[in-house]
Order: sequence, then C-alpha cells, then structure tokens
Amino acid sequence: MRGWKALMAKDWKLVFRNRLLLVVLIVYPFLIMGVIGAAFYDLGRPVPLGLVNLDRTGIGEIAWVGKETDSSLAVKRRFRFLAEWEHGYEDLDQARGGLEAGDVDAFLILGLEEGGREYIGARLPDNGIQEALTLLEEYPGEINHYATAQEAVASLDEGVSNVLLAVREKDYPYLAETVWLQGENSDAGALLQRYAEDVTDIRACDSVTQARQDLKEGRVDAVIVIPRGFVHRLKVLEEVADIQVILDQSSLVKAEFAETSIRGFMSRINEGVVKGKMEAVITGLYALVGGGDFFGTEITGLEQIRENLERIKEVVKADPTLQATLDEGIELADTVINDIEEAAAYLRATALPIDLRISSVAGRPLSAKDAVVPSLIALSILWTGVLCGAILMVLEDEENMRTRLELTDMGPFAMVASKLSLATMVVFAQSTAMLLMAVIVFRVFASNFLLSLLVIATASFSCIGIGLVIAAFARQVAGAVILSVLVSFPLIFMTGAVFPLSQMPAFMQWIARAIPLTYALDALSGVMLRGETLADVGWQVGALLAFGAVLLVLGSVLVRRRTA
Amino acid sequence: MISVHDLSKQFNGVKALDGVTLHMEKGETFGLIGPNGAGKTTLIRILTGQIAPNRGEIYLGEERIDARDTRYRRKVGLVPQEAAFYGRLTARENLILLGLLYRMDKREIGVRADRLLAWAGLGEHAARQARHFSRGMQQRLSLAMGLIHDPELIYLDEPTSGLDPAARGSLWELIHRLSEEGKSIFMTTHNMEEADHVCDRLAILVEGKVREEGTPERIKSLLGKDRIELRLSEERNEDLEDISSKLGLNWRREGDLIVITGSDLVGKMPEIMSGLAGVVRNLHYREVTLEDAFLRFMREVKG
Repeated sequence: MRGWKALMAKDWKLVFRNRLLLVVLIVYPFLIMGVIGAAFYDLGRPVPLGLVNLDRTGIGEIAWVGKETDSSLAVKRRFRFLAEWEHGYEDLDQARGGLEAGDVDAFLILGLEEGGREYIGARLPDNGIQEALTLLEEYPGEINHYATAQEAVASLDEGVSNVLLAVREKDYPYLAETVWLQGENSDAGALLQRYAEDVTDIRACDSVTQARQDLKEGRVDAVIVIPRGFVHRLKVLEEVADIQVILDQSSLVKAEFAETSIRGFMSRINEGVVKGKMEAVITGLYALVGGGDFFGTEITGLEQIRENLERIKEVVKADPTLQATLDEGIELADTVINDIEEAAAYLRATALPIDLRISSVAGRPLSAKDAVVPSLIALSILWTGVLCGAILMVLEDEENMRTRLELTDMGPFAMVASKLSLATMVVFAQSTAMLLMAVIVFRVFASNFLLSLLVIATASFSCIGIGLVIAAFARQVAGAVILSVLVSFPLIFMTGAVFPLSQMPAFMQWIARAIPLTYALDALSGVMLRGETLADVGWQVGALLAFGAVLLVLGSVLVRRRTA
Repeated sequence: MISVHDLSKQFNGVKALDGVTLHMEKGETFGLIGPNGAGKTTLIRILTGQIAPNRGEIYLGEERIDARDTRYRRKVGLVPQEAAFYGRLTARENLILLGLLYRMDKREIGVRADRLLAWAGLGEHAARQARHFSRGMQQRLSLAMGLIHDPELIYLDEPTSGLDPAARGSLWELIHRLSEEGKSIFMTTHNMEEADHVCDRLAILVEGKVREEGTPERIKSLLGKDRIELRLSEERNEDLEDISSKLGLNWRREGDLIVITGSDLVGKMPEIMSGLAGVVRNLHYREVTLEDAFLRFMREVKG
C-alpha cells in the first residue's frame, strides 16, 4: 500500500490534464445522462393517433360503401334476404331517384362479369339499416367508403369495387338509445376524443389509406378506425362494438406505447359505457321493483304487487288454500327482485362493450423477431460504419503516411474515396450477411429484399461519413475507437430505437432529424416490414446520401485543416 | 537549385520562421541545423507544399514557384522524420504503391522498386512486411520510398534520428551515394557530427532565424580552429582578458571550466601558461567542432 496516495494524486493530475480522459471519465457520463434524461423527461406526452371515423353519416344522408369481392352473389342473396320489399332499376339515375323519393331505403349495384350492372333497390325494416350498412364487412376484401355518388361510381368504373351499396341512414329506433348516451353527442369520433384528449393527440384522417400513409411516414404512432355501425352497436347493448387499431409493429417500442395508450383510454370509455348501461338497468330495476317509467311505459312495480298481495291475504284469511297461493306469489316476487339485483351486479362486473381488433400497418402480423432485425442491422451499420471510417483514416496518421501520400499525384479526394469505398464494402457485406441470415435461418420477414440492400448501402455511406469526421479529431486508432464509441452511444438513444420519437421533447425530435441513423432505421423498417416502395423511402434514401456527402466533405476539410 | 527569400510563418501568433533567406546549389547536400523547435521541420513542410508561408518566396532556379504545384512536387522527394511506410505491406509493395500514386509507368515501377531495394541493401527483404524490419532498415526503406519517382531534390527531415551508430553510418553512406549521383539533398538535423560529416554547406537556424550559413569548415573557423579547456585553482579573470586581447583569442566560462578558442593555440600555449602561472590545475586541448560553433550561436541568441 505504500505510495498509493502519491500514485492516486498523480492519476488525478493525469485525468485533469488529458482532455480525452477528462471527457471519458468525468464529462461523458453526465452527457449520456443528459441525453437519456432529455429523451425521457417528457415521457407520457400525448401519443399522436390518426382517427378514421367511418360511422359519421348523418340521419337522412346516403352512405356509399364499395368492395371488390368474389362473393358478389352471396352479397346479393344476403341483401335480398334483408329486404321487406325489393325493386329492380335500369340505371343509376333511376336507383338514386327511388332512394331519394323514399321508395327504397337502400340499393345494391353489382358489376356483372358479362359486362353491365345490376341495380336492386330494397325497403328495409328499421333494424335492417345497420345490417345493410355493415353487410359488406362480412365478406373478404377491403371496404371502401365514399363521400359522394360520383366517387362511388368511379370506383366501379375503375374496377376498384365490383359491389356498391347505397343506404340512407335512419334514426335508431332502439329503446336503449333513450337511456344510454342520452344527451351525448352520438358522433363516435367526438366521443373518443373526449375520453382520450389528455393521453393522445388525435388527428382526424379522411380515409384509412391516408391514415396508413400517415402511420408509415411517422406522423402518427397508430391509427384508430371506427367502423360503420359502431355507435349503433354501443346503443343496442346487445353486442360488442369493435374498433380497429392499426399499429406500426415494425417499431416495437412505438407500437407498444401506442397500444398501451389506446387500451388505457378505451378502458375508460368501457367504464363510462358500462356505467351508462348499468344506470339504464338500475332505472329499469327501480321501475320493476318500485313502479313508474319503465323505458317510456308506466308500470306497476313488484313492490306494489307484493303489497297488493299482502292486502288480499288479509282479506282472505278464512281461506288457507288461497293464502298459501298468495304466499307463493309473494315469495316469487322476492326471488325475482333478488335475481334482478344479482343479474345487475353480474352485468356490472362483466360487460365490456368496446373491444379492439389490432392489425399491423404491414398488412400482416409481425413478430418481435421481425421488428428487431431492422434495428439490429441499423445499429450494426452505425457501429461498423463509424468505426471503419474513423479507423481506416487514422491508420494513415499512425503509419505516418499522410504527408508522403499528399506529395504524390493522387487527387484531392482520393484518400477519402478509398476509405469510403472499402468501408462501404465492409459494412454493406456485413449488413447483407446479417439480413440474409435473418431471412434464411431465422425466417424473418423482409418484404423487399433488394430495396433493403439499397437502404443498407446508403445508410453505410452516411455512417462512414461520421467516422471520417471523427478521424479529424484522433491521431491513433485507440483514440479513434474511443471517440467512435463516445459518439455512437448517445446517437442510439436519440433515433427512436429506444424511445418512440413522438414521446421525446420537440428539441430532441429536431436533433433526431439531424442523425442519419434515424432515417436508416425508419427506411429499413419501412422496406422490410411495412412493404414500402422506393417512392415511399426515396426521400429518406436521399437524406442519407445528402448526410453522407456533407459528412464526407466535412471530414476531408477537417482532416486537411488538421494536417496543415 | 532552390532558394527561399524572406520566408516567415506564424502558428497562433508564435513565429516559427522569421524572414528566412537561404540558397542551395544544384547537386549540393545542404544541412539545416538547429535545436528542437528552431523551425527546421516547418521550413521543410513549406518547401514540400504541406503548409503555406505567411510571407516570402521560393525559387526553383530562376523561377518563382508555388510549392503546392504538381510539376514542382514531382521533382522533389521527402523522407519524413518518422519512418513512414505501411507496416503490413512488404517493402516492395510499399514502393510500388507510391510508384502508382506518382502515376509512373507500371512496367517501370517494378524495375525501379527492385533497383532501389538493392541500392538500400534491402534486396533480400523485399518480400518481408516492413513492420518486421529493424529501425535502421525501416529508415532505409523510407529513404528508398522517397526516391521511387527519381526526384532531383530530396528533403530529409532528421533522417538518422533515433538510429544506432551502425545504422546511422549505413544511412550516411546512402546519402553520400545520392550526392555522388548528382542529387540535391536538403536535410535537417540536430546531430552536429552528421552535419559536419554529410553536408557540403550548412545553415544554423535558431528561433526561426538563420544565424549563420556556410561550409562546416567556415562555421567552425568562426570560433578559431583550436580549443583548450582549463580548470583553475582560483579566479583570474583579469589575466584571461589580458591574454585574450594580446593573443587574439576568445575565452568564456562553462561551469567551472575556462574555455579558450582561437587559431594555433598549440603555438600560443607557453604565453597562456605563463599568464596563468601557478593556478592551472588541469588542461585539455582539442580541435573546435561544429557543436562548439553551434553552442556558441545558441549562447549568443540567448544573450
């Protein structure tokens, strides 16, 4: 132990007199904490959600729904089954005329295989309107909702749909409507916004297609689609009302945050709806037990009946047989009252009127394994690219060759170009091998392999650029490695790989946009998992190339300046 | 061959070179000597176009040139202070790489590389990775690499720094041979023995200024040819002044030694001894070296 104090004092001096050590040991931990803290401190921000409300056609308005399906004959049979009365029309104008005149409540247009179209009008019972509106949902294929007749008919002309349904909305005739959502805005979108406004940032989208695009491009973290008939299902108390949730499962953290947030406010809506339903049931119970207004009808309550029975029992004391019968009646009334109360308690405990149907923006379910691979490849590109760029450049200094080479006839960017080429080949080969292994060995999903390679190449280019800039600040390989680690580590936290970008403060989101890895991660997830095309990721590929070019020039200038 | 006129360079306000003017003849081996930080490497970096001067001109013959000009660069070779090569390339691969970067004829490069390796005594080691070479071999390889494109003028920046005497001698031999082949050599060194042994002419650079320029003999003769070191039993400064002025000598104190320099000190010895009668405890005679002259300039600069 002798001499340890002197050695420790020496070590402190060395640390404080060596800038790199000072940064690594003293400053850097604070920097990392700052980065993570900044990314974290605003966690719990409203999650940006896209809302597509397909259940908002007003009473008396015509809803247009279309679909491309092989089951058009089945649709036709079902539609005719719903009809109280049906009528064939010659053309669209006639059919619209019939609908607008109130002759029919809906009409179906079928594109015929032999050419031409069939127009069937139908008068529907009150409870058939919603069934007609949701009819097409029962058959495979994506449903398209149209705002106008022109759009709807154009979809037939363009072959987007071969079945088209026009339904005039009616008011809901159900008894429950008078108690549940009484006084509430029956617009489902407004209902969701009211329950979700403090935990989400809801942005209305006109169509599912647009919402999917917003999700792909990162403007929202998830999409909620309120299907046609949603409010109706809530009101009739008979069935669960589904809400479709589209998640970007190519980013595990983003999907997880979004789903948790949506489930959170959905449970609040469920509670609210259950409470409303229970109030309706309790009102009914009070009426059954105590008498009065039972959903619009004046009734005599069970208690009154029981009292009457007691009174009759007093009067007919002399007839033991009748008394026994009355006792049975009174006991039955007590049992019914108890049963109703138990049923109410059961309903209160079990009823969950809204359920979520989760789907992926990729159009197919993605596993955690699928979602992890783009992140791993992107991180590998960052790590190897930065290290490769920095080390290859610094090797020239370590070998003392830079001066000698600069006296030769080589071009001004020859050295940088040689490093860039080699590093790109190394990083590209490594990342491609990872991708191949993931796809072949681990059966990971990659929707567009070739485009993935293009993204990998451009991401490699930009990350190597970071390494070339780092090389301007290091003279030895060891220094370059340390600087590469110091730079790469915080970048990982700032690119959405660990925390969703939407959950970061605004300034961190701006910083994230200045980091190539952000674009690499997004583009790679897009082309591998979300089925995006070159048109979708073109701007990200462009951004990566631009970053690479700027960093390349910056690295060259800094290295030259340092040499001079 | 090459001249510089009024060359100055500052780094962050500190003068590295201050109005340097020099001239070097074609075929000459010119040595720039000076202490560490005198500005020697800065001058070589300017002359090889790595950095630009703040002021001054460079002439190649009669023509004023920009040292970054490609035509000039092709005429010059550089052997940096630290051995410069790719350690994991063989000696031959290092030479061929430079030949390719100088855009030499591909057929010519291999021939020239083999010839240079043989010339540098590395013929048998051509296929070995350079990192396995001894320090002396590495420096010879570095020299050969500076010659691959057959330059007319070669800059050597402290070429024997850190070499053992045998390796140093071997490199001096190569430099002599280059000189005999008619190459112009501009070298920096702070090894006075090397400067005296290798260079035709010298310049002494101290604190960014040329303090003296000439042949080694001339620079040494500024102190006189001879030197005696005396150890006295008591101080006799007045007697030393008298002797010096009477015999045309210089004297100074170096620690507890009295150093007298001048010409024909052997012939003047009786008069010196009689002037210092009874106090001389110890006497040592030798010829003046370049190092003596250099140290004198250093002392003058420092006042």
